Amino acid sequence: MLKRLQGLTLAASILVFGSAGAQEVTLVVNPNVIGAPTFNPLKATVINTQSTLIFDTLVQRDRNFSYHPALALSWESSGDGLTWTFKLKEGVKFHDGEPFNGEAVKWWLEAYRGSQVDNLVDAIATIDVPDPYTVKLNMKRPDPNLLFNLSSSWMGFPSPKAVKEMGEDYGVKGAVGTGPFILEEHVVGQYTVLRRNPDYTWGGLSQNKGPARIARITMREIAEQSTAFLELKTGGVDALLYVPTDFVPQVKAEANLAMVELMGSDVMYMPINVTSGPFADIRIREAVALAIDQKEILQGIFKGVGMEAHNFLISALSESKVDPKYNIGYNPERAKKLLDEAGWPVGSDGTREKDGKPFTVKLWAQSESEFKRVAEAVQAQLAAVGIKAEVTTFDSSTIREQYKANNHQLAIRSYSWPNADILNWFFGGARLGYPNVSMWNDAKAEELGATAQTGSRTPEERLINYTKYHEYVLSQFVFAPIYQPVQFMAYNKARIRFPDKIMTPEFDSVMALDMEIVE
Amino acid sequence: MPEYILRRTFVLMPVFFVVSLVIFLITHLVPGDPIDNLLQVGSSPEMKAKLIAEYGLDRPLHEQYLLWLGRLLTGDLGEAIILKRPVFDLILQNLPYSLTLGAAALAFSTAFGIIVGALAATFPGTKVDEGAMGFILLGSTVPSFWLGLLLILFFAVMLGWFPVSGARGWSSLVLPVLTVGLGGIALTARVTRVAMLETAQKDFVFLLHAKGVPHRSIQVRHILRHAMIPVITIVGLRIGWIIGGSVTVEYVFARPGLGTLLIRSLNQRDYPVVQGSLLMLAMAVMLGTLLADILHAAIDPRVRERAR
Repeated sequence: MLKRLQGLTLAASILVFGSAGAQEVTLVVNPNVIGAPTFNPLKATVINTQSTLIFDTLVQRDRNFSYHPALALSWESSGDGLTWTFKLKEGVKFHDGEPFNGEAVKWWLEAYRGSQVDNLVDAIATIDVPDPYTVKLNMKRPDPNLLFNLSSSWMGFPSPKAVKEMGEDYGVKGAVGTGPFILEEHVVGQYTVLRRNPDYTWGGLSQNKGPARIARITMREIAEQSTAFLELKTGGVDALLYVPTDFVPQVKAEANLAMVELMGSDVMYMPINVTSGPFADIRIREAVALAIDQKEILQGIFKGVGMEAHNFLISALSESKVDPKYNIGYNPERAKKLLDEAGWPVGSDGTREKDGKPFTVKLWAQSESEFKRVAEAVQAQLAAVGIKAEVTTFDSSTIREQYKANNHQLAIRSYSWPNADILNWFFGGARLGYPNVSMWNDAKAEELGATAQTGSRTPEERLINYTKYHEYVLSQFVFAPIYQPVQFMAYNKARIRFPDKIMTPEFDSVMALDMEIVE
Repeated sequence: MPEYILRRTFVLMPVFFVVSLVIFLITHLVPGDPIDNLLQVGSSPEMKAKLIAEYGLDRPLHEQYLLWLGRLLTGDLGEAIILKRPVFDLILQNLPYSLTLGAAALAFSTAFGIIVGALAATFPGTKVDEGAMGFILLGSTVPSFWLGLLLILFFAVMLGWFPVSGARGWSSLVLPVLTVGLGGIALTARVTRVAMLETAQKDFVFLLHAKGVPHRSIQVRHILRHAMIPVITIVGLRIGWIIGGSVTVEYVFARPGLGTLLIRSLNQRDYPVVQGSLLMLAMAVMLGTLLADILHAAIDPRVRERAR
């Protein structure tokens, strides 16, 4: 009786998510894209992995930040950068049968104006469509960042007919693109079922230029990491698109699981509030920044997985290759010397003091466990140079309010963005409090930042300008770099197979097209 | 009886208004706002001001409250700021899952609680009594989050009897119901046990013994019925609590539900969703207690008489 019950429930559980079914694959998405409310980038707060399978972009970006044709066959910009001409691939159709052409591109790009993400098309003045497969963008100013924006998952192209017909419901009740997979079913925060687009012949970077090899993909959104891992272990799902650092050894221990290392795009750092107390003095800021031991944190907390961070940008970006003298690293001797010079001698109990008051600082962190652990390590490292730090944790929404109220001094936080213009976002004077947690408003920085973001005419100029801006930010010690995580993907190698060489930064249509089921 | 019901329902209205005010104040006075969760890297500072005005978040608090209340009374729960859909649709989508889990867990914990409590009261002071009481205490002190993971590890991973997570099919309901229900058995069992032991001291029980009615018959047919009165009150109170209190279980088992909706919206400070969900949960508690009171009055004529 029990055996029969066991058999029945086992059969039922296999039917549940069909991963034993042929030609069907179940994946678990990265927790940071869970709960995406809509597939419409004009209204969304986050664009999930599913979107990259349903929609195509004009260009694709690879791991080395080179751009490759996707929906656009080729492109060129005029010498002054004020005109971009894109030649589109012919024969591309949307999932509803409508043709993809220059009119569709023009209509969609203009739809961005006035939306929450209109900054993506801000540099474009007008768009011309001289023939169905050519689009000319007439720019207000040269924008070397155009290709980056056009390769972003925020700029996939939907069928104009579908958008107009569904109106407010577009993105919620349906999503129609040109991608290798068609949206079949979507439950917010739970799962998305995608089926293969049989007409797909316009692959970009993928080795497979035709339709996908997999008939159906179910993408599940599981917030609890232990549950996701157990699903992978028991074969309930076929891959996890994100494996937390803590689970890496567990995945390695399983014989049927394999891991893929993806490009990391996060940096963990400690902003220093330049308006608060002693931190107005650049010597004290430098001392605090030099007290952080990146290697100890990498080895002790993250078990050597990932990389140390020595400036504000991820190592994959060329703008992170600043003059080595600007990189910020562990130097406790110099830190102590600077603190002495700034008039903070070491007191009797090991803590520095001035006029009888001890050097105490507020160290804030968000309540996720990795931030708390790093905050504790930083607290110990600051104590080693004679600074007493008090750690307080907040949830992410509360901490932003507190930053805006300017109550903070030091904080542990991280960002995820693969472009140098993150410097403008976090250090620009127009957004003090949050996102500019350092509360830094410096005239020279504003000038360098503006030149880099909107004054550069070519990619080479942009690189030089951003490197200069980056170096200046580093020289002012408005933050301390800590750690660069890497991202891992884990999959069941008895079920699916990925190509040996991963071309793109993360799981997207390229990897989905090349993914195969092991027979 | 009908007057009793009418009067109790009437009292709910001022309670409803007070609850709505408290819910509104709590969500708006907690630091943080939804607009920061809407903005993307690269958006201009002007966009932020535009969004704040669009959602009416710059108006004085009492104006925002009266606006919300006004729409509420016409049945319009508003539109979610971040999820961009009518709050009513969101709640309607998630409610069935929470109700299934909640109802099943309630039924499970009540049934088992009564059985365990009755057993313990029938053999008071013996190993059965102490063992049963000790075991259920374990169930109620273990945190539900951890209990859920333990059950997954044992029943889903090692034995493979049930799926690890998800909400498709009845087999995925078993482990979550166990997790939520095990915690609730303790209270029901203890109340049943105490009520039965107290009732056993009454005169009419003495008479039943004297008449020669068998011990088991007395316990089940007479004492148990009297002991149900406090149990019904407890169960009524727990109805709303169970629907909202399954949040951690929904998280661990990756199930949709009102709890998950609430937590995610709370993190992002999506005011309309948080207010709507909290209101639903509060109403569930109010209706639960109303139902319990009515049942109580139906069972116990003394309550009906006293109220006259």
